[in-house]
Amino acid sequence: MNLMKIVMKNMRQRALATWLTGTSVALGVALAVAIVLIKQGVQQRFEQGTLGYEMVVGAKGSPLQLVLNTVYNLDISPGNISWKLFEQLRADQRVKLAVPFSVGDNFHGFRIVGTTDVFFKDFEFEPGRKPELAAGRIFTFTEAALKSAFQEAEQRAKEREAKERGEEVKSAPMPEGTPANRPFEAVIGSTVARETGLQIGQTFIAAHGVQPSAEAKEHTENPWTVVGILAPTHTAADRAVYINLDSFYHIEGHEIRGPTAPVKAEEKDNDPDPGQVSSIVLKLRSPIHAFPLYREINDRQDAMAAFPAAEIRKLFDIVGNIDRLLFAQAILVLIVAGVAIAVSIYNSMSERRREIAILRALGARRATIFSIVLLEATTICVVGAAAGLLGGHLVVAAANGALYRASGFVIPAFHIQPLEWYILYVAVALGALSGIGPAWGAYRTDVAKNLAPSS
Amino acid sequence: MSEVLSLRNVSKTFREADGNLLEVISLRQFELGAGEQAVLVGESGSGKSTLLNLIAGILLPDKGEIMVNGTNPTKLSEAARDRFRAANIGYVFQSFNLLQGFTALENVLLGQMFGSANGGADRAVQLLKSVGLGHRLQHKPRALSVGEQQRVAIARALVNAPPLVLADEPTGSLDARNGVAVLDLLRRICTEGKHTLLLVTHDPQVMKSFEKVVRLEDLR
Ligand SMILES: Nc1ncnc2c1ncn2[C@@H]1O[C@H](COP(=O)(O)OP(=O)(O)OP(=O)(O)O)[C@@H](O)[C@H]1O
Ligand SMILES: [Mg+2]
Repeated sequence: MNLMKIVMKNMRQRALATWLTGTSVALGVALAVAIVLIKQGVQQRFEQGTLGYEMVVGAKGSPLQLVLNTVYNLDISPGNISWKLFEQLRADQRVKLAVPFSVGDNFHGFRIVGTTDVFFKDFEFEPGRKPELAAGRIFTFTEAALKSAFQEAEQRAKEREAKERGEEVKSAPMPEGTPANRPFEAVIGSTVARETGLQIGQTFIAAHGVQPSAEAKEHTENPWTVVGILAPTHTAADRAVYINLDSFYHIEGHEIRGPTAPVKAEEKDNDPDPGQVSSIVLKLRSPIHAFPLYREINDRQDAMAAFPAAEIRKLFDIVGNIDRLLFAQAILVLIVAGVAIAVSIYNSMSERRREIAILRALGARRATIFSIVLLEATTICVVGAAAGLLGGHLVVAAANGALYRASGFVIPAFHIQPLEWYILYVAVALGALSGIGPAWGAYRTDVAKNLAPSS
Repeated sequence: MSEVLSLRNVSKTFREADGNLLEVISLRQFELGAGEQAVLVGESGSGKSTLLNLIAGILLPDKGEIMVNGTNPTKLSEAARDRFRAANIGYVFQSFNLLQGFTALENVLLGQMFGSANGGADRAVQLLKSVGLGHRLQHKPRALSVGEQQRVAIARALVNAPPLVLADEPTGSLDARNGVAVLDLLRRICTEGKHTLLLVTHDPQVMKSFEKVVRLEDLR
């Protein structure tokens, strides 16, 4: 027989209250842990996601939208920028690497991203980590083919405009490199491969728009052939379908649209825009170039630069406020649970006075009686908190499914955070705090009075 | 014969709810020798239970000297007095002696928890057997008859082999036949273990069976 055994018996004596109050502690803790884990995990993954993306350049608009669209394949593209700007940046002394991306279609909800071979050869998700192929090869890409695709797309745009004006249009001869001899090849992310079952050599047809929708019509002209499958990167790339930029521009509806920012007429005539891309990812030779280049690009009428890391930090500063609100709610749940424990033990005291008096008559000290009640409250809190910690992790594990579908990454659900030890200390404190009132009542129990048979 | 219990000039006064003082105990001298068995009788409200609580150190006298087995528990700190009680005094009440959440055996083991002497679980089992409950060890109080519950209480009171056993109307809630059985049992065990017994009763039958009958009024 020991104190803990007495405590357990008492808890079993009022099992319902024990369960209910323990469960409310567990709920509060689970909520707190889940909030912290999800926030930390998402933030960490998002911040890690920006590592390879030193600077992104895109159409003027929301920098956050540009970052979400380019780095995470979320949101829609804010617009296009000219290929000329890409060439200019690629040639810039300060730029180590420039990778163009074009978006606008999906396959079963997976985003189709037009890019060049540079993405596979020189891009790094983080230092030393390039996209690796699990199977096959990368798509064929030549700049000549891209140029001809641009010309062709421009020509189609002109024809359509003419048609809209009601003019008779004779189809001009297509420039060199017809669709037939331009390869329609795709490299798919690991998740795309797993979820669609696409294999090397199989073909697929894209649907228009970055998200699948009921009206989305399928592009009927040309199917793409899967030539490569990426190894898992644990980034948005796992959920992307990469095609060569020239085939991207062959898709109907991807004609060259007018520039997003007004361009002076003579400028346009003198130096016609050869083509467009959605965004450019830059890696610089030195961080000292970052701000000057950032300012130069943002001074332009037709483009904008953004630092993904900074945008994500700003985003999480906003998220952090909501987060703190939720956390405060979890604390509130815990406080209510503590009050419930105090009240439920207090209510049981009238039935317990007799038993306390018997224990005292058997030689139990006041301090022993005090500890029994205090231990009872603390045990409920600690066991509840432990269950809550486990529950919080399980919630995260369960939320991972949805998170994965939305973003392509998961949070490590079963990593123990240092915070969790802190939560256990808090649970002990909460138990002690809620038990101290009833324990004091038990301490002061009048033994003689409660031994009398009438009581 | 050395004294196990000795009281001298003990008095205890309560302040009643209306503020008046009520002197419940005023006693010149009372002694019990080792192994002696006595019955304490008196009107209802005359202070019998109060006297047992004073002897047990649950209440403190206003003045006077109480000696139990050579020690004056009133001179000890409260915690020491509790420990002294656990080791030296077995206490049986009229009813509801047991903790409801614990089995018969656990209730007896509870008696061993707070003293220094520790006979181990063997002694608890052996005592329960000697009160005829060897087959009821794992039963909770609710599953026992009132007579059986009283026998568990007797086993618990004796588990630390205390020199002094106090029993406050232990047969008060039993029918005549069960009362006699429980009383015989208590007296037999006390005789065997040479425990001094002070027993409170209202029952004339019980009184008659004791050689030493003490009237509380006569101690004034
Ligand atoms: N804490 C207290 N405060 C005030 N009066 C008390 C207190 N405890 C006991 N009394 C009073 O002291 C008197 C003696 O009580 P006690 O319980 O000792 O009597 P008793 O002889 O055991 O009676 P019974 O035979 O009914 O058990 C009673 O009048 C009781 O009301
Ligand atoms: Mg009484």
